[in-house]
Amino acid sequence: MSATAAINSADTRAVTNEVLLAVENVTLRFGGVTAINGVSFDIRKGEIRAIIGPNGAGKTSMLNCINGFYHPQEGRITYKGETRQRMRPHVAASQGIARTFQNVALFNGMTTLDNIMTGRTLKMSANIFWQMLRLGPALADEIKHREYCEEIIDFLEIEAIRKTPVGRLPYGLQKRVELARALAMQPDLLLLDEPMAGMNLEEKQDMCRFIIDVNKTFGTTIALIEHDMGVVMDLSDRVVVLEYGRKIADGTPDEVKSDQKVIDAYLGVSH
Amino acid sequence: MLYRETGQFKTSYANDMVIFPIRQDRIGVYLLLGFAFIVLPLMMAFHVAPFRTDYFLLAILLPFLILSLAAIGVNILVGYCGQISLGSGAFMAIGAYMAYKFGTGISEIGLPPMPIVIAILLGGLSAAFFGVLFGLPSLRIKGLYLAVATLAAQFFFDWVFLRVKWFTNYAPSGSVSAPELKFFGYLIATPVEKYMVALSFLTLFALVAKNLVRGNIGRQWMAIRDMDIAAELMGIRPLVAKLSAFAVSSFIIGIAGALWAFLRLGTWEPLAFDINRSLELLFMVIIGGLGSILGSFLGAAFILMLPIFLTVLPAELGVPITTETVSHLQNVIFGAMICFILIKEPLGFARLWQIGKEKLRMWPFPY
Amino acid sequence: MQELGSFLEVLISGLLAGVLYSLVALGFVLIFKASGVFNFAQGAMVLLAGLALVRSLDFLAHHGFPGWLAIVLGFVFAGLVMALCAFFVQRYVLGPLINQNALTMFMATIGATFVIEGVAQFAFGSEVYPLRLFPTDAWIAGEGLFPGGILINKLDVWGGVIAGLLVIALAMFFQYTKTGRALRAVADDHAAAQSVGIPIDWIWFVVWLVAGLVALVAAAIWGTKLGVQFSITFLALKALPVLIIGGFTSVPGAIIGGLIVGAGEKLAEVYLGPFIGGGIEYWFAYVLALAVLMVRPQGLYGEKIIERI
Repeated sequence: MSATAAINSADTRAVTNEVLLAVENVTLRFGGVTAINGVSFDIRKGEIRAIIGPNGAGKTSMLNCINGFYHPQEGRITYKGETRQRMRPHVAASQGIARTFQNVALFNGMTTLDNIMTGRTLKMSANIFWQMLRLGPALADEIKHREYCEEIIDFLEIEAIRKTPVGRLPYGLQKRVELARALAMQPDLLLLDEPMAGMNLEEKQDMCRFIIDVNKTFGTTIALIEHDMGVVMDLSDRVVVLEYGRKIADGTPDEVKSDQKVIDAYLGVSH
Repeated sequence: MLYRETGQFKTSYANDMVIFPIRQDRIGVYLLLGFAFIVLPLMMAFHVAPFRTDYFLLAILLPFLILSLAAIGVNILVGYCGQISLGSGAFMAIGAYMAYKFGTGISEIGLPPMPIVIAILLGGLSAAFFGVLFGLPSLRIKGLYLAVATLAAQFFFDWVFLRVKWFTNYAPSGSVSAPELKFFGYLIATPVEKYMVALSFLTLFALVAKNLVRGNIGRQWMAIRDMDIAAELMGIRPLVAKLSAFAVSSFIIGIAGALWAFLRLGTWEPLAFDINRSLELLFMVIIGGLGSILGSFLGAAFILMLPIFLTVLPAELGVPITTETVSHLQNVIFGAMICFILIKEPLGFARLWQIGKEKLRMWPFPY
Repeated sequence: MQELGSFLEVLISGLLAGVLYSLVALGFVLIFKASGVFNFAQGAMVLLAGLALVRSLDFLAHHGFPGWLAIVLGFVFAGLVMALCAFFVQRYVLGPLINQNALTMFMATIGATFVIEGVAQFAFGSEVYPLRLFPTDAWIAGEGLFPGGILINKLDVWGGVIAGLLVIALAMFFQYTKTGRALRAVADDHAAAQSVGIPIDWIWFVVWLVAGLVALVAAAIWGTKLGVQFSITFLALKALPVLIIGGFTSVPGAIIGGLIVGAGEKLAEVYLGPFIGGGIEYWFAYVLALAVLMVRPQGLYGEKIIERI
């Protein structure tokens, strides 16, 4: 494992105490099912924040609330000092929240490069008439953003698959392309939903390295969901634990690890 | 062996992003354009075979050009944006009738007859407007429900152009005739001239369409098509992406409708743009290749050629078959082709073409 | 009173016509519920069933079979044709497309539509064939209540009764039999249903057969009304808005939707037609369906889907 590497690099970063995103008393229901029940936590600028918990604990629903895909019935979400009740996902995106998905959600009909270029959509300004001609501002846009995407491609070491349709890529690479697409948005807050699910050890190590590098090089705040406890404990600055839609623990990896409720939730408890 | 890109280096992103990155392709396209714009018209002018009569030109080439244009429009909506539409015929009709209205002047608002090019473009714009209107449900409904909603457009406009006499300038027969086709002061009358007009429109809008689909807006369309939720979470606004696809698609289909009415039909009735036209266009796109501009051409060519082939071939073989049988047979073959393509090669002829090219790059060494 | 009488007459004839829309819509719903396939070919199947029925009846009558035997044999023959149709569709269109997305399946059924229409007309001819299975004269009801009474077409009543019985039978089939449960499982997820051992090929065959038989009933009634001809395929296009209004997955929805469309378009034609021009029943159902969609995207009875990612 890249344990030592992770800890060492974590020490050199500038984690501030400034709160980037605060979730307060959020409750989300689907009909009679309460997916999230009065959960509060915050994410500080520059940190790597992990959300863990058993299956069905409401982790993905939490991310969906944060980037506006689900609208919680109760509670408030404050991002960059702005409180919101309901928000469309594309607004969240335009404010700098990017996202990868539990089950890879790439645009399968498009090449790797085009997938990453979609991440630049919000940054492009040429109107549709210039795009029809593909001259002037439209061409300038294309070239400028292509350059940025190429930097990300270099960064994630996916040069060779630049023009391959993503549907043909193996799973591990697809996950990496998805990360690239999210990075192309130059996010302030990056939400990673099980970035290492289904990967083998080498792929996991690569992915860990990329996550740490992203955090260090771009200063991106990261919130991630992950089931691999080794990875979580090594990578994250703070961990929040959910179970059955409630928060049962919140703190540094060491604090969480020794929390009795967490141990019960993961190992089961005799009644 | 001639088809190799070895040694063709790209030194800028602009170079890497041209439509045909391989030099041989570029040469091929220039040759094709030269042939279409110069050699063919010359052959037509001097009545060289197969242009001894106007049949080949009027019954095959002209329809091919115009329907290719319509298929490009349909492909933008269905192939690139993934919004299935069964109402393309209606948007062709809107293009045709509105171009007719603008071309003959709208006396109610004191609008004099417009020059024909302007009228055609305005016809396209009208189609785009109604395309957006009928595209609005796409924001709330998806997939199959939307397909049915587009049928609403088809049936509604069938009725409008049949019953609302204003659109036909109160012609007692219900059919209308194209106004005088004066392009920039030059009267279009011969088949060759019509061919040139259709070819110019097609070339222009094929280029526009290609530019759009490989640019920012095109990527948004494809993102919506492939994974609409992920697209929205990445900041792509479904409203903008879907409605722009409806607008651009209907605009091009509307232009094609106007050309079809003015150049191909001359005199027409709403029946020319009924549900069968819509299905035919959809077939072209599926068979030719969803999400491919080239596919639109291939699909149009196939759908046009098959009936002719079915009529000519048995006659040549000495097996007389009635026109009725031909139309049944044609239905069966179209239908079977659709199923076959969907099962075996969901990206249609365009994909086969691409595979062929990849093989050719390797040829004669398999790897 | 005269006003109310004529209103009721229009309403009742509309409702009874609506029952027939429901019948075709029912075929759609069956296949959609059972395979998640939106079957554009339902209209073509009505045409095929109708042609097979009417042509075999003509043939049998021509060869001197007694009336009742001819009718029984005719229905058996048409039923066999529909079974054959179900077999081919399952084997060569849907089977290979298993696990594909709904839109691909939908387009494949458009392809199947053309094949079925072509084959049906090629095999059985493409003219208008009159069919006489049900009485076509009219009752006059409520003479004491309204001057002149209300005209009710007997055929419409027959249609209504038969459709009603079919719906009840199908609803019970879906809800209470093992096959019914398997059908619902398949509609939800092809792969998952296969993995628990549901024989998907067989299930699809059964459901297409049932849809084919529903088409046969619809063809018998519509054929008596208008004669069996190509335009019968447009009946299916009329049933599409019914589905939208009722929801794709709901049997009661298909019934209610059909009634709404049937009554709505007749009333609109009679009471709105004079103001905006005749023939609005051509599109009225569709515009109504659009309006419903804007309010309830899943239709009146459809299930609301929670999207997840």
